[in-house]
Amino acid sequence: MNKVFVIAWREVSRVRKQFGSRTSAFVALAFLIVLGISAFALWSTLSLGSGLYQIGVSGDVPPIRDSRFVVIDVDVEQGKILLGQQRIDLLVDGSQVISRPDSRSQYAVRALKQYMEKAELERVGNTYPESDAFPLRARINYVGAGQSMEPTEAGGATQQGTRPEETIIPSLTPPPLPFGQVIIALLYILPMTFISIFFTSSFMDEKINRRLTILLSAPVTPFQIILGKMLPYVIFTLAAIAFIAVQTQANVLLTLAIFLPTTLFIFAIYLMVPLFYRTFKDVTFIAMLVTTLTTAYLVLPAVFIDVTDLSFVSPLTLAVKMYRGELFTLREYLFPSLPMAAIFGFSMYAGTHLLNEEFLIGYKPISQKIANAIYLLMSHTKLYISVPLWSVLVIPAVYMAQIIVLAFAADLPLGMTLGVALFASAFVEELVKSIGIVMLMDHGKIETSRQVLWYAFLSVVGFFVGEKLLVLISLTVVLQASISSVLFGTGLLLFVPLIAHFIFTALVTTLRMKTRLSYTAILTIGSMVHFLYNWYLLGGLR
Amino acid sequence: MTPFWAVVKRELWTVIRDRTIIIAVLIQFFIASFSSGLFLGMLQLYDVDTILRYSGGAIRIGVVNTTEGPLATFITNHGMTVVLFETLQEAEAGFHNGEAVAIIDAPQEIDDITELRIYMPDSATISSIVRMVIQEPLKEYENYLRVEKGVDIRYTDLQGEPSISFEFVYSVLLPLLMFFPAFVAGSLAIDALTEEFENNTMETLLSAPLTVHGMINAKVFSVVILAVTQCGLWLTLLKLNGIVIQNTIWVFLLATIVSGITSMLAALAAVLLQDRERSQFIFALMLLTAIAVSNLLNASPITTLSRLAIGDYYTNGWAVAIFAVFLVSLYLLLPKISRRLMA
Repeated sequence: MNKVFVIAWREVSRVRKQFGSRTSAFVALAFLIVLGISAFALWSTLSLGSGLYQIGVSGDVPPIRDSRFVVIDVDVEQGKILLGQQRIDLLVDGSQVISRPDSRSQYAVRALKQYMEKAELERVGNTYPESDAFPLRARINYVGAGQSMEPTEAGGATQQGTRPEETIIPSLTPPPLPFGQVIIALLYILPMTFISIFFTSSFMDEKINRRLTILLSAPVTPFQIILGKMLPYVIFTLAAIAFIAVQTQANVLLTLAIFLPTTLFIFAIYLMVPLFYRTFKDVTFIAMLVTTLTTAYLVLPAVFIDVTDLSFVSPLTLAVKMYRGELFTLREYLFPSLPMAAIFGFSMYAGTHLLNEEFLIGYKPISQKIANAIYLLMSHTKLYISVPLWSVLVIPAVYMAQIIVLAFAADLPLGMTLGVALFASAFVEELVKSIGIVMLMDHGKIETSRQVLWYAFLSVVGFFVGEKLLVLISLTVVLQASISSVLFGTGLLLFVPLIAHFIFTALVTTLRMKTRLSYTAILTIGSMVHFLYNWYLLGGLR
Repeated sequence: MTPFWAVVKRELWTVIRDRTIIIAVLIQFFIASFSSGLFLGMLQLYDVDTILRYSGGAIRIGVVNTTEGPLATFITNHGMTVVLFETLQEAEAGFHNGEAVAIIDAPQEIDDITELRIYMPDSATISSIVRMVIQEPLKEYENYLRVEKGVDIRYTDLQGEPSISFEFVYSVLLPLLMFFPAFVAGSLAIDALTEEFENNTMETLLSAPLTVHGMINAKVFSVVILAVTQCGLWLTLLKLNGIVIQNTIWVFLLATIVSGITSMLAALAAVLLQDRERSQFIFALMLLTAIAVSNLLNASPITTLSRLAIGDYYTNGWAVAIFAVFLVSLYLLLPKISRRLMA
C-alpha cells in the first residue's frame, strides 16, 4: 500500500510541474478572465433562441431587452408593410401587437408574451400600491389520501405527514420545475469527466516519454502503478463532488455514496483509453465518444424519473430523489451502482494484465489491439476457467450497452424501436459470448470441433450465471418493462433459454471454424437467429 | 505532387484508415439524438402546452361555489375540465373518490386582497403538474382582478404558438451540428501537430522540401476538409428530415469559416506550447473566450447561423464576411508566430 502512495505523490508533483513554472501564472490569469467573461456573457445574453425574432416597434412600448428579439424602430404604416413583406415577424404598436397568421409570426408572439408579462409586472408593481398590483393570493394545501381538507387550529397547516401550506402570488411564483433537480444532478458529471481526462493524459504522457517502461521495471506491480496514478484524481473528484453537495445543501455522505460507483466507472473507462490508443487522434475521438456515451447513459434515464422504473439505471435518478427529499431502497441503490462497480473491477483486472511494454507500444488497428487484449486476458489462466469467467465478467458491460441501445432506439419511430433494440442487443450478446473463443481459435489454442462446442457451452453457462445474478438484484426494480424482461431474460424456465443460447453461440463459433466468412458476417447471422428467437418470445411471430 | 498535398494526403489517409472519422460522425449522431431525446422528453413530460393539448380534458379541476368571478371559465378555456361543487364538503368527497384531481375553493376578499385556497394531492409528481397547468388560468384571473381595481395592464391578450421546438431546432440543434465538427477539427489539428513534436518527428518532416508554414497549413487544411464534409452530411440529413434551412450556401460557408478559425487557433496553441495536454486545455479556454467575446460584441456565429437558417431578411452574406475577415487575419498571423518560435 505504501508503494501506491509513493506513486500517487509522484503523480501529484508531476501535475504541479506540468502546469507549474512559466505557464502557471498565465494560465491561471487566462482561466479567471475567461470564467468571468463567459459567466457574464452566458448570464446576460446567451439563451435559447438568441436573435431568432425580428420585431418592429412603434409608439409607447416598454424597452425590449431580451436576446431573442432584434428590435427595429418603425412607424406604424412602414411597420405594416415590413410585416407583410415578412421582413419582421411582428409589429408592436403601443399596447397593440400585430402579427401574421403563419407559424413564425405566431412563435414570435408567444416569445413576446413571455417577455411582456415580466416587463408589465415590473411596471405595474412600481406604479400601483401592492394590494392593487398583486390582488390575488393562492394558498396551496397538500392533502394526502384519506386526509381532511379542514384546516386545523394551527393557522391553516394541515395534519402531520403532509407538506406545509404554501401561499403564492400566481404572477410572481413560477410553478416548481420538475426538471430542475435533474439539472442540479447533472452538475456532478462535469468534474468527473473533466478530471478523468487529466488522468488519461497523464498516463499517455508517461507512455510517450517511456517513463512507464522504467516504472514497470521497478519493484512495483502494475496494479500498484494504476491504483497510485488513479488515487489523486479520484480523491480530487470526490472532493469536487462533496463541494457541490455542500453548495447545494445536500447530504454529503449520501451524495458520495451515490456518486462513488459512477466516479469509479468513469475512471475505469478512461483507464482503457491510454492502453489502446496509437495516435493522439485516437485519444481525442475515444475520449469524446466515451464522454458522450456516459453522459447519455447517465442523463437520459433520469429525465424519465416518475415515468418508468427503468430510470433507476442511472445514479442521477437517486440524486434527484435525494434532492426531492424522497427515500430510495437499498435495491434501487444497488441497481445502478453494482454494474458500475463491476465494470471498474473488470477494467482494473484488464488494466493490470495489459500494462506491459509489448502491449503498450504495439501499433495495430484498434480492433486488432482489442482482439489481442482479449486473447492475452483469456490465455492467462486455464481455458475452462477463463472462458466462462469472461462471460460472467462482461455481463455488466453488456447490460449497459443494452441500456444505451434502448435509450437511443427510443428516438426511432415506435414500430422500429423494438426491432432495432432487440437486434442490437442480440448482436452484443452474441459478440461477447463468441469473441473469446474466436480469439483462442485464431491463436490456435482451440482446434477441434469438439473443443469448440465444449467452450461454447462453458461460455454460455458463464453468461447465464452472470445474467441471473444481475437479474436477481434488479428483478423487482425493472419488472414492469416487458422489453427488459426479454433482454435480461427473466423467464422462469431456465433450461430452454440455456439451450437456445448454446445453439446461437455454437452456430457462430462453428461457422467461424468451418467457413471462410468474415467474423462480422457470421455474427450477423447468429444475431439474426437470436433476434428471431426473442421476437418469437415476445409474440411477434404468432 | 507538391509537399503541401503530400502532407494533406497523409493526414487524411491516417484518419480514414484508422476509421476514427466514423467514430466522429457517430459521436455527433449520438449528441444530436441525445439532445433531441432529452428535449423531447422534457417537452412531453414537462411542457404545459403539450400536456394540455394531449391530455387537458382528462385533468379535472374541482371548483367550489363560483357564483362570482370568471376563474372557472379561464380554466375551461385552457382545455381542462371543470367540476363544480356546491360546498367544500362535497368537493372533499369528490377529491377523495377521484372526481377531481385538485380543488379550488371559492375566493374570499380579505383586507382588499382576494384569497384562494387550492387543495392538491400530496404526490410530488401530480401536484407539480397541477401547479403547472393552473398557472395560466390563475394569472389570467389575477389580471382580471387588476382590471377590476383600475390597474392598467397591457399585452394580456397575446397567445401565439408554443415556440420551444422552433427555438431548439434553429438555435441549438443546427448550431450544434454545424459547429461541433469545427471543435473536433481544432482538437485534431492539435493532435496532428503535437504528435510530431512529442515523437520528435518534426525535424525529419521539416527536412523535406516544406516550410514550417506550409506544413501547418497542410495540417489545418486537412482537418478543415474533414469538418466541412461532416457539415455537408448534416445539412443533407436535416433537409431530408424536413427541416427547412434557408440560405444553405451561406450557412455552409459560415460553418467552413468557423472550422477554419478554430483549427488555426488550435494550431497556434499547439505551436506555442508544443505538448498535447496543455494545448488542448488552452484551446478549450480560447474557444470559451471566443464564444463569450463574440456574444458581447453581438457578433456570435451561433446567432448568425440561426438567423441565416431561418431566412432572416436582415442577415446575409455580409454577416458571414465578418468571420471571413477574422479568418484571413489569423491566416496572416500564423506564419509570423510559427516562424519566430520554431526558428
